[in-house]
Amino acid sequence: MTTLESPAVPAPAPAGRVAAATRAWRTLRSSRAAAIGLVIVAVHLLIALLAPVLTSYDPIANNASQALLGPSWEHLAGTDQYGRDVLARVLYGGRYALGVSLAATLLTMALGTVVGCAAALRGGWFDDVLMRVLDAVLSVPSILTLLVIVTALGTGSGVIVFAIGVVCVPQVIRVVRGAALAVVPADYVTAARARGEGTWSILRREVLPNITDVVCVEAAMRASWVVLLISSLSFLGFGADPPTPDWGLMVAENRTAITVVPMASLAPIIALATLVVGLNLAADGLSKAWGVDRIREGS
Amino acid sequence: MASASPASSTSGASTGSTASTASTASIVSVAGLSVAYRSGGREVPVVHEVSLEVAPGRTVALVGESGSGKSTVAATLLGHLRHGSRITGGSVRVDGKDVFALSAQELRRLRGGTVAMIAQNAGHALTPSMRIGRQIEEAGGDVPVVDLLEQVRLPRPAELARRYPHELSGGQQQRVAIAMAIAARPKVLVLDEPTTGLDVVTQRSVLDLIGALRDELGLAAVLVSHDLGVVAHMADEVTVLRSGRVVEAAPTHRLFAAPEDPYTRRLLASVPRLDDTGLAIVGDAGQREVRPKVEVPADAPVAVSARDVTIDYGSSRAVHGVSFDVRRGEVLALVGESGSGKSTLAWTLAGLRTPSGGTMAHDAGDLARPAQKRPLSLRRKVQLVFQNADMSLNPRRAVGDTVRRPLRFFGTASSRTEAATRARQLIADVRLDPALADRLPAQLSGGQRQRIGIARALAGEPDVLIADEITTALDVSVQADVLRLLDDLRRERQLACLFISHDLAVVRGIADRVVVLRHGVVVEEGPTEAVFAAPGHPYTRQLMAAALEPDPDAPPLAEPGPDWADAAEPDDMWTDHGDGHRVRRWRAVA
Amino acid sequence: MFSFVARRVAAAFGTLVLSSVLVFLAVQALPGDVATQVLGKDATADAVAALREKLKLDQPAWERYADWIQGALHGDFGTSLVSGKAVGGEVALYLGNSAVIALVTILFAVTGSLLLGILAGLYRDRWPDHLISTVSLVGMSVPEFVVATVLVLCFSVALPMFPAVVLYGPEASVGQLLPAVWLPAAALAVVMAAYIVRMARTSVIDVMASEYVTTARLKGLSTWRVVTRHTLPSALLPTLHVIALNVAWLAGGVAVVENVFNYPGIGKLMLSSVQNRDLPVIQAIALISAVVYVVCNLAADLGAMALNPKLRTRGRTR
Repeated sequence: MTTLESPAVPAPAPAGRVAAATRAWRTLRSSRAAAIGLVIVAVHLLIALLAPVLTSYDPIANNASQALLGPSWEHLAGTDQYGRDVLARVLYGGRYALGVSLAATLLTMALGTVVGCAAALRGGWFDDVLMRVLDAVLSVPSILTLLVIVTALGTGSGVIVFAIGVVCVPQVIRVVRGAALAVVPADYVTAARARGEGTWSILRREVLPNITDVVCVEAAMRASWVVLLISSLSFLGFGADPPTPDWGLMVAENRTAITVVPMASLAPIIALATLVVGLNLAADGLSKAWGVDRIREGS
Repeated sequence: MASASPASSTSGASTGSTASTASTASIVSVAGLSVAYRSGGREVPVVHEVSLEVAPGRTVALVGESGSGKSTVAATLLGHLRHGSRITGGSVRVDGKDVFALSAQELRRLRGGTVAMIAQNAGHALTPSMRIGRQIEEAGGDVPVVDLLEQVRLPRPAELARRYPHELSGGQQQRVAIAMAIAARPKVLVLDEPTTGLDVVTQRSVLDLIGALRDELGLAAVLVSHDLGVVAHMADEVTVLRSGRVVEAAPTHRLFAAPEDPYTRRLLASVPRLDDTGLAIVGDAGQREVRPKVEVPADAPVAVSARDVTIDYGSSRAVHGVSFDVRRGEVLALVGESGSGKSTLAWTLAGLRTPSGGTMAHDAGDLARPAQKRPLSLRRKVQLVFQNADMSLNPRRAVGDTVRRPLRFFGTASSRTEAATRARQLIADVRLDPALADRLPAQLSGGQRQRIGIARALAGEPDVLIADEITTALDVSVQADVLRLLDDLRRERQLACLFISHDLAVVRGIADRVVVLRHGVVVEEGPTEAVFAAPGHPYTRQLMAAALEPDPDAPPLAEPGPDWADAAEPDDMWTDHGDGHRVRRWRAVA
Repeated sequence: MFSFVARRVAAAFGTLVLSSVLVFLAVQALPGDVATQVLGKDATADAVAALREKLKLDQPAWERYADWIQGALHGDFGTSLVSGKAVGGEVALYLGNSAVIALVTILFAVTGSLLLGILAGLYRDRWPDHLISTVSLVGMSVPEFVVATVLVLCFSVALPMFPAVVLYGPEASVGQLLPAVWLPAAALAVVMAAYIVRMARTSVIDVMASEYVTTARLKGLSTWRVVTRHTLPSALLPTLHVIALNVAWLAGGVAVVENVFNYPGIGKLMLSSVQNRDLPVIQAIALISAVVYVVCNLAADLGAMALNPKLRTRGRTR
């Protein structure tokens, strides 16, 4: 669009932080999927925080006289075999899933981003060796790695966060490295190198700002993965310890009684599925709005 | 785009009926065509009421800068519109049929059968997973593939047909694309920048081939190009487009001899010529004045001195023993085709590669060391400006920040506030409004971005500026402005400037001395005037002969030299023509 | 071409060696004394000593590794700490049962998802695409155990077509197991297909937007020909690797699903051996999974080579 004197500037827009905020807002307005996804996730967060306000039942109090009831005004989603209110357990259940997932995702993303960028920027033997090791780690099924770590170290939240880190960090490193590799040959990185800037400074000033898109999308997607993994772990009996309200655990506990009180299994399933759909919608919407090839990056 | 001035006297409606074609019916007839695409919920017009007539056997060129809509118009001849575009008015008739009223079946028959397209980049236009022969075969027609490949002058056609596209060179790929286009013996060829991206010698031979085939098969052709040299060489008539409107349409000779519209005049005047002895300064009405070069004082200090530099890529050698000096205030041009090693040399000087042999010296230290190992005082003295300004500015940083960073890093500005002031000053120095400092690169035009790239290089207060094909990606009018800026800056700041280019006309206008590189070897060097007046090496002559002037009647600057072989001996490398003009020894071969 | 294959095989072998070291280290270097870990804190000193003897814990780690890998190469993975049987035979038995599920899953998931993905890509932004994309988004958002539970609810409880749980042990014949294969396979296929569908869709869209496909259209070719000859070979390339990753994922993915259906496969063995801390079995399963992963990726690389002449003809001169 370069003609003799046309300035080709649509409108003066501020740069820097304000621009980033404007851009994020515009993204949300333009991408319905991202907006819906983020709203769903936000609602889940709110419910988890406000669970004590939303229900008066204690999620872990047994009440044998109220066991296996169908939905009623008293128990909107019925009760389970120990007579616990299913709705209360579903509302509280988000606390464990969201808390652990959030911590695990943050840890994974932070570590993966730094190492992935460094690998792309340094290249050479460091990169080669790292990639081989990651491949070797990924070759063992993640569920097996998780199970082994959890049996050895116990089922505390800290252990689960650590175990998720071991499984997911290699994947994040790969994705971030891939994105950074696309930025590293750019002339502005070359210019910084010719100037003699250090690795850390190039990473922070030139590379990171240009892969925030990929990192955000990856975070949303990784979060959905982490939620799935943690719920699978709980389902198998290796995650949350029994009286704790957790969706995966609830499905495992109530599956046998599915013909009697289907709601006791369906309610946590719905909660789990909406959360993950929300995260995936957010990831999809953001990647589409920002032009990140999520599926390729994420593979 | 808002400032685009409307066409003056010539309206777009009346075109083709020039004297020579009045009797024949047009085979292509575009009438009042308007195209728009949807973007962000609103319609953006890209083509406004463009009309165009092409008679059988004639070639009409669509000329314009980027964003003029020329490719969009050309693609409509095949009934093709980009995703999201639609026709908002007018019609396109080819061989009597309304292209956009055809059924899918008829449209398929039109494509290939009546109209065929040769796209810009054959490397991208050929399917990578299919053999050449199969791709040509499926284009239809009864002509055997081998005959077609022979017709486009490709050697050993039978063997070539079994190859995959990536096994061919760029020129060969373009010839295959041509063979594919003429396979079904169409009546009209659409050529969309058919030689952009090819080296000048290859470009010339591909154009000659297209011209010969066109005459042989009696094809009408629509040629889309931004290159006025190509247009002058190929077209019978020219239609100039600007922002989707026809500015002027005329027979080629008339247009180049006496352009009527001021825009056409400015466009023509902006093109550097092989016989310009300085930079052309173009006025608003398109008047042209060549600014003479300033003499470099004889006692100007040498800024960079390179001796016998060799550079290797793994086991292959890209540069073989190149020597040169650049003095303060002087522009030294490195000229050559792709693969000549000119950019490799530039990057090595900038410290991004390490030479495998020879010396490169600068007052402030040894340039043979990579950037990280050079002292700060040396790093700031030697600065590189990149070819593609779109890629060389961090898209997430305001351009002011991009200029400010080296100011702080090199310590040329001691405080934050000083850096901000100096950055604005630098932006003003490259003839931009300092208010642009807060913009992101995407909010600037290509020329503005390249100026910011220059400002960033100037931030370290260098005495050596390496300009690596800095105007290649720019439109011709913008190129003229950037060249002039570069020339001003070296005068004001006594910069030693290493100017890398493949474009001989640009080099002639700006360079004081020229080094011609071929496959990493210097074949000729000397003062610009001496080399252009009497090119001594057959390769230099070949380059000059292949260059196309924006003038249909221009005689070639040089006759192509004879077939030759290198005859340089270690102790007898050069034939000296005096005044620093020397030619690598060669001998003619039969 | 030969050097390309040789390099890939060498890299795969290197990964395998590295994985085996990691598996060994991870299992052996669990915190605390391995023997105590296995037997629990209340074990008698004699029992611990006996187990230490049996696991040869007194030897240095690298010697134990060499012994283990040497045995593994001959199919000898040691004896199970729980059943006392040879690990190799036991794992093979369960693995065979899982292979039936895996085969059915791969067959349906890969063909079905490729078709759907290509369809979605070709009908980009129209209703078939929206439908397929939405379903696959949901498919990848729901964990395997949920899909399995829902399937049980539909096809065992509401419509009793398939058994909800398997009542046979690991020695059951294929004929006995076959009726129980379909639901687990369907659960796995849904999750697996979601990823392949999305990848196939994206890469078809990418290739359809390429210049060479435009050129092929402008040559006047039929849509069918444009799709089959010009689009698919290039579009399948990136999809191959996603398929390989998903097939390898099955090795772990079966764990959850088999437990839902009580199916006597490798996943169930994995879970019980983790619960019982049966180290030799865990090591064997991990190593076999690593082999599956490496072989799948190697197959994808070689498949890519067959589809991409640039890799096939490397080294031939211009």
